[in-house]
Amino acid sequence: MRLNVMNRSVKIILFVALAAVLAVAPVVNSQDVATGSATATVLTALAVTSTAALVFGNVFQGVSATIANINAAAGVYSITGQASAVISIYMALPEFVALADGSDKMTISFSSTDASVDTLGGGVPTGMVATSGYQNIDPHNFPAASNIGSGGTTSIYLGGKIYPTIDQAAGAYTGDIVLTVAYTGT
Amino acid sequence: MRRLFIGVTLFFLIAASSAAQTITVNNNLVFGDMFPGVPNTISKYTAGAAAEFHVSGTNGAEISIQFTLPTKLTKIGVSIQLIFFDTDCAIDHRPNPDQSSPLFDNLDPWSTLLYRLGVQGLTIYLGGTAVPRIVQPPGAYTADITLTVAYTGA
Repeated sequence: MRLNVMNRSVKIILFVALAAVLAVAPVVNSQDVATGSATATVLTALAVTSTAALVFGNVFQGVSATIANINAAAGVYSITGQASAVISIYMALPEFVALADGSDKMTISFSSTDASVDTLGGGVPTGMVATSGYQNIDPHNFPAASNIGSGGTTSIYLGGKIYPTIDQAAGAYTGDIVLTVAYTGT
Repeated sequence: MRRLFIGVTLFFLIAASSAAQTITVNNNLVFGDMFPGVPNTISKYTAGAAAEFHVSGTNGAEISIQFTLPTKLTKIGVSIQLIFFDTDCAIDHRPNPDQSSPLFDNLDPWSTLLYRLGVQGLTIYLGGTAVPRIVQPPGAYTADITLTVAYTGA
């Protein structure tokens, strides 16, 4: 009789204990998965436009002609992009201009003060002043700190000089000026 | 009766030692502002920019760690190439993990990694490189990085 009571008590305790364990035992995951993310915000892309060619107009044989970068006839380039971003600027400048058929060439040169970088982006060479950015700089070597202006636009003005020979063939001479601009990442 | 008590106690201990592993995303991989045409690399050592995951679980237990990594960041209709190199991951299971000098460094996030949890679990760091095009449309780009961990039983 006493043994039966004992067995019954043991069964009850076992049941309660098992129930308690099942109640508090943590659920064991076979694995866990989490998803994080990678994010980036891309800023405004650069765009370069040649808005005005460097125009020497009519020139005479044997008489050189100069266009200052502040002259209305200066070449004008417009650069748009992320405001205040630093950019690298490279100009591939020609050594001569030529007739369309290539039958004659005329020397062109660019001095170390023939360019200006207008970070106000005015786009008008005659409006360029020293406080507008970098005035009278070398178009072969633009400042490393050149940047897109706070308004998101920067203009470049380019002057130059041509040297017609005394027997220069008459006609329209042209040459390509290639401007390359890239973000530096700062 | 005494045996029964011991048995129940052991059962509790066994149950308590099988703690589930859980992952917490402490930090996402943040490239921030990017200029078109300028690749940007986030080092795994860079706190606040590198991805950081924390795994908790049973001290000393080995876990397998597997990333499902994206190959591009996207926004509607466009994407940016995303690169994870075979040294872009690091792990530290010390109580005070050091992101600047993790215990296990230069790990391949493309491989399944096997490491043991420490007293405070285990922290995983992940860097990466995004390569926007020169004419990359502006805007916010995102991608999911999925991390799966599991006990190996070892």
